[in-house]
Amino acid sequence: MNTKLGYVWPPILVATIFLGGWQLLVVVQDLKPFLLPAPSLIASEFSSGATLMWGAAYYTATTAFLGLIFGTVLGLITALLAQRFITVDKLAAPLAAGLATVPIIALTPILNNMFNITSRTPRVLVTAIIVLFPIFVNVTRGLIQVNATQLELMRSLNATPRTTLRVLRVPNAIPFFFTGLKIAAPLAVIAALVAEYFGGPQQGLGSRIASAAANTAYGRAWAYVLAAIITGLIFYLAIIALERLVTPRTAQVTTTA
Amino acid sequence: MTPTQLDSKNPGSALAISGLSKVFNVGNPNEVTALSDVHLDVHTGEFISLIGPSGCGKSTLLRVIGDLTAFDSGSVQVAGKSPEEARKERLYGIAFQQAALFDWRTVTRNIELPLELAGWQKSQRQERSAELLDMVQLSDFAHHRPWELSGGMQQRVAIARSLAVDPPLLLMDEPFGALDEMTRERMQNELLKIRMETGKTIVFVTHSIPEAVYLSDRVVVMSPRPGRITAEIEVNLGDRNEMTRESDHFFRCVTSVREALRVHDTSNSTSSSHRGEI
Amino acid sequence: MSATRERIAKGSVSLLWALAGIALIAIMWELTKFVGTLIELPFNTSDQAMPHVWTMLSGFTVPEVRGSETTVFQAVVSAASYSFTLALGGFVIGVTVGLILAIVMQRFLFMERGLLPFVIASQTVPLIALAPLIVGIGNQISFGPVQWSTTYSVMFIAAYLAFFPLSIGALRGLHAPSPTSLELMRSYAASNNKVLWKLRFPSSIPYLVPALKVSAAASVVGTVVAEISTGVRGGIGRLMVEYARETTSQPAKVYVAVFGAIALGLVVAAVIAAVDVLLTRNLPKKGLT
Repeated sequence: MNTKLGYVWPPILVATIFLGGWQLLVVVQDLKPFLLPAPSLIASEFSSGATLMWGAAYYTATTAFLGLIFGTVLGLITALLAQRFITVDKLAAPLAAGLATVPIIALTPILNNMFNITSRTPRVLVTAIIVLFPIFVNVTRGLIQVNATQLELMRSLNATPRTTLRVLRVPNAIPFFFTGLKIAAPLAVIAALVAEYFGGPQQGLGSRIASAAANTAYGRAWAYVLAAIITGLIFYLAIIALERLVTPRTAQVTTTA
Repeated sequence: MTPTQLDSKNPGSALAISGLSKVFNVGNPNEVTALSDVHLDVHTGEFISLIGPSGCGKSTLLRVIGDLTAFDSGSVQVAGKSPEEARKERLYGIAFQQAALFDWRTVTRNIELPLELAGWQKSQRQERSAELLDMVQLSDFAHHRPWELSGGMQQRVAIARSLAVDPPLLLMDEPFGALDEMTRERMQNELLKIRMETGKTIVFVTHSIPEAVYLSDRVVVMSPRPGRITAEIEVNLGDRNEMTRESDHFFRCVTSVREALRVHDTSNSTSSSHRGEI
Repeated sequence: MSATRERIAKGSVSLLWALAGIALIAIMWELTKFVGTLIELPFNTSDQAMPHVWTMLSGFTVPEVRGSETTVFQAVVSAASYSFTLALGGFVIGVTVGLILAIVMQRFLFMERGLLPFVIASQTVPLIALAPLIVGIGNQISFGPVQWSTTYSVMFIAAYLAFFPLSIGALRGLHAPSPTSLELMRSYAASNNKVLWKLRFPSSIPYLVPALKVSAAASVVGTVVAEISTGVRGGIGRLMVEYARETTSQPAKVYVAVFGAIALGLVVAAVIAAVDVLLTRNLPKKGLT
């Protein structure tokens, strides 16, 4: 009975009910757009302003992408160092855990002062720092948490630490890496977007949402929000596609996030 | 295929252990003497089992031989060399209770792992892994992934892997422990067949008395607190067949081992070596 | 050593390493400034853009506004405390909603299949970016005599960010009991509620605790950033933005505010760590069997 439920139609059903109910509510209660715009209004704003939307989305997405790449590379390097040199791990781990509760985005004004506020650089940097943490935490775990028997096997085969890294630790860490990427990718989009609130070039989604809201063009503001959601989803789906490409279907591989 | 001669001084000796001791957690409240004054000689081509209750040191002994654990005193010679030298020269292959195959490699690539690390060329590796797969009768599964195989099949792959570089010595730590009885008996026969074909020296750790007697030339009985060898029982069963497990001779060997285990179960006396021949 | 004392000892060692890490960062900061005086670096290393570490520390004692009684430090502490209360409110709401969602999703497979994709998708919504919109909507709402203020909007945002990790973690935890344990409960003819309370909840603690940590972190971040984008007064977020405008005259103040935000996060992390010890003190280290 349970297997017949399927994975596709329950969410579609829920979405339809939700959107339908929303539209109904706006129409019946005659809600003004500044309170809650109807899905139909958002859809029309979205399609009419499409080129502008995608321009803004492209701008923010580029910032997010650059930050994601940079942060991932830094995270990988730090993780490799932390596995190889236990001092690095001991220094970095409590910092990573402690800084998880800190709004790193708050560094943006500082970076705006240090770097050129009219360029992308401060936003890319703060995005990279935000991305670094989930990547670092997960990849380090993947490199270190290796099956003890497999480590014994490597020793019995007289493998050097470098060989063990290449042949055992790195492949073991790949699922962990993707867990981290799945967190980091949508996070990069949000970070790039919020960083736009601290001043600087205004072509991105964040700036547009804020200015639309300030001009009480709420339908347009929500349409930009929709564009932001779609951008985040595209990043997430791209990671999933990459994961399918790189790793064959494995049975019940459990990794922690 | 004849066993390789390695030790020119004493060509018949695969293992020469004397006065071996190993203590864990020295000075702590949970200090434990895993091995105390252990003597053991194994000839080339011999199949010996190490058997005993938990904590008797059999797995520790195996790991000392394989240079996977350091030891505190005594001497250990693997084919005339130190355990470290033997490991570095790849003179042994090891199989654990967990198959410990790499999920991200196919069966073939798992078997080729030691060959890669030993620097073999691709064509040589492929030839050798095909040969080994044939030996363990898994040629049809060459490109499968470990999780697609049953427990018994995974262990066969692990055994094939341990044979990859054709080492003269095989160390096995309860490799059939996680398998059901029928698969176990089948694997035992396969192992004996491999042994007959290759003439390797095998040190086999097990919990099971019938398994130890069925497989070995000699059963080494150990007991804990402190871990030591308390008896060595020669088993002269000759060629094994389907009737072996039901024969009187087999039963008498099993009883002999069982009694050796029981005698030293509650005894606190210092080690006494007991040689019996049935 | 008892398990709890062992954990406190381990925590203290981690703390020392964290302090060492901070000291290392401070040293690298000054080193970078020094290098900046020798060669041309791609960023601004002047005392305005990158104040010396000791200037930052002295900023603690500087009076907030010329001639005022309160020091910057006091202002930062009171702002951080205010933000803490907002974050706490958001956290509690988020955790409650997350738990209810998880229980419903575990109990009814249709709800899990139907809701889970949206729960996950909800996190791609940059609610923080929506903050001005939320405030706009919120200001129109009133529940009888209670008028919705901007602070509630901030709490809503914090709750939104907190509920997701908790509902995912709680769902995983509620699914955690082994089939054998479930069969046992079935043999006792236990009702679904009994199974929930006596088996599923206790089994879920190893999953709940890390989720609580992530939720707490999310509510702090959500609060601070929401304060920034909504302009709510009284919190540390607003203070950071205000001090950021004074970097030409008083460069150190913004750093003190940033440290305040960091300290807020660390305090919350410590509280959750204490809750962790409390909840898991009687459990085996490697999780439940």
